[in-house]
Amino acid sequence: MPVLLRIALRNIREHTSKSLIIGSLVVLGVIIIVLGNSLLDTAAQGVHRMFIDNYTGDIFISGVTNTPGAQVSLFGLTGGGESESTPVLPDFDAVQAHLQADPRVKAVTSQVTGMGMVTLEGGDNRAMTLLFGVDPATYPGLFHDTYLVSGSYLTPGQEGIVVSRGWLKNADENLKADLKVGDKVLINGFGRAGFKIREATIVGVVDFNAETEGMDLIAWANADTVRILSGVDVSAEDVVLTKSQTTLLNATSDNDIFGAAETSVSAAAARAPVMETAPDAGPGASAQKTGGSWHFLLARLTDSRQTDAVIRDTNAWLESQGIEARAGGWKVAAGPFAESIDVIRIVFYIAILIVAIVAVIIMMNTLVISVMERTGEIGTMRALGAQKPYVWLMFLIETLAVTIVFGLVGIVIASGLVGIVNLLHISASNFFTQIIFGGKVLSLSITPLSFLNTLLMVAGVGLVAHLYPVMVALKVPPVRAMQAE
Amino acid sequence: MTIIELVNVKKTYLLGRVEVEAVRGVSFAIEKGDFISIAGPSGSGKSTILNLIGCIDTPTSGTVEIEGKPTAGLTDRELTLLRHESIGFIFQSFNLIPVLDVYENIEFPLLMGAGGPPKRERRAWVESLIAEVGLEQWRRHKPNELSGGQRQRVAIARALVTKPRIVLADEPTANLDSTTGEQIITLMKKINREIATTFIFSTHDAKIVDEADHIIRLLDGQVVENTRVAEPAAMGAAE
Repeated sequence: MPVLLRIALRNIREHTSKSLIIGSLVVLGVIIIVLGNSLLDTAAQGVHRMFIDNYTGDIFISGVTNTPGAQVSLFGLTGGGESESTPVLPDFDAVQAHLQADPRVKAVTSQVTGMGMVTLEGGDNRAMTLLFGVDPATYPGLFHDTYLVSGSYLTPGQEGIVVSRGWLKNADENLKADLKVGDKVLINGFGRAGFKIREATIVGVVDFNAETEGMDLIAWANADTVRILSGVDVSAEDVVLTKSQTTLLNATSDNDIFGAAETSVSAAAARAPVMETAPDAGPGASAQKTGGSWHFLLARLTDSRQTDAVIRDTNAWLESQGIEARAGGWKVAAGPFAESIDVIRIVFYIAILIVAIVAVIIMMNTLVISVMERTGEIGTMRALGAQKPYVWLMFLIETLAVTIVFGLVGIVIASGLVGIVNLLHISASNFFTQIIFGGKVLSLSITPLSFLNTLLMVAGVGLVAHLYPVMVALKVPPVRAMQAE
Repeated sequence: MTIIELVNVKKTYLLGRVEVEAVRGVSFAIEKGDFISIAGPSGSGKSTILNLIGCIDTPTSGTVEIEGKPTAGLTDRELTLLRHESIGFIFQSFNLIPVLDVYENIEFPLLMGAGGPPKRERRAWVESLIAEVGLEQWRRHKPNELSGGQRQRVAIARALVTKPRIVLADEPTANLDSTTGEQIITLMKKINREIATTFIFSTHDAKIVDEADHIIRLLDGQVVENTRVAEPAAMGAAE
């Protein structure tokens, strides 16, 4: 064993109190980093299940808003002011065809989003809902992490809404009702075209394998119901006009018009069956047949690791075609929900940074004291012929030896704590803790790579901490050897 | 043959705002193989002279030449190399590395420079030095397990391990009882006689001074006596 490593390891053993001060900091830092990283990894896996598997997919394509500060996500336009609405995806057919032709893309679906207030006939109570107008033919191909509790999923051409058990519970509490499959609710929509009301039947209740409270706001509806409520164009060919409506549209005098005022086009359209997709229709076929506008295209990839490449290629294609649309990942799709995860991540990193700074300062001070105590030894080495780099190397090895030895101790303790935490089956009490826990129960996992990263981080902290003390050490003149007691 | 020469060397320290003249125009020469005592009371400048000869301090004015080469103008790296190759140190407080045992302490200077002797040769040389200073039974003991005299023997062996031409000893017997002190001086003189290494030691002990072949006596930073008692050890034997 090289003599400097021997000196380093023996100094750790000999100077117990100094080693324990630095060592306990290293152990604490390692525990925080290992547990924190494990929590972030768990959260990342949870995020994947909660967002990508449940409703964002890998790729999200939307129209572009020119409103400063506004963002388009799967939840619509946010930050754009009351007069703004979610942009419709332009050149939908071309974009969809391009996406479907990409061999990296496994499945594609389309969606239109709206906000609504749920009420009951004759009731005053209201419950807010987020409406995902989906294509039943293609949607389950992307998002299948649910199971049916009662009723059925939407089928192509069917009107109605599918809700989660959490949604139903919230609605029951707010509406003072006991809703079940087959019940009808009124949904008030507020979109670009003004206030709209639409009756919808609850056709199914589902639950999530990775349930979160965030999902309890969402109700899945047939696309045209959401289009009408949001003021988005409905397919003209699907609106079946009666003879009297045709007469009304052909009218040339005021009397003809006001004489037929009890019937309106919008009312007729609102009650018309709008989706006539064949049960065996392939991915995207329904959307093409209905021909109505969509807000978004969502895609799942064969390999999620290619997400960035697909986004980059798709955006390049959109730009080359002059289509005012942008592709993004799950974070863009999840909008405000993804931001909350980023906030949590940033808070964690800030905490790590603060711990690192505190560790550096304390380690630095302890090492400086150590240098002061060892000026005689350093001076002796210099007098005996040790060049400055040799002294520097001695302190570097000592610092790395302390950090790595105690880093390994920290990893053992952290692994034990992870095991204990998993045994405790800690439950998440709210949405944010569910995001952090990656589900309803905290289940931490650790990888050898995270151990290696942690050791490297701790060694980095040690390296930074040793710089100033070593500068002090290098200034110790050899003549101090003569003054050693 | 002159191995060390000091010409009109002065050294001034600043103690706060007060200038202290530790050495005031000292000149003398030391022959190769000398066993020389720099004697004088506390504060007379003995340690300062040793520091200047050992290249661990620089003179305020005057010149110090080691083996014919002036030390002024040498870089820190060059001075360190000169110390490593030419000078061995024996300290008043022994200055052993506490976490290394006897063998490792003696071997340590050989591990600092690039291209030291091969391991087998190094081991044989260190073992012979341990035998020379009579510490065969203590070779795996740490400094805190040794007596003062034993520690100083380790320091002597360490000072000789790089086969220096000059060994500087700053009050080597100051922390030892008189009997042990005499034994240490006897050992140093034996080695001086055997391998003609130049030994320069500072002391204020009259009995130790009497063992020297060449005595330089200092008072208030000036040489007040420069007496040769005996001829230096046989020249050329150190190689």
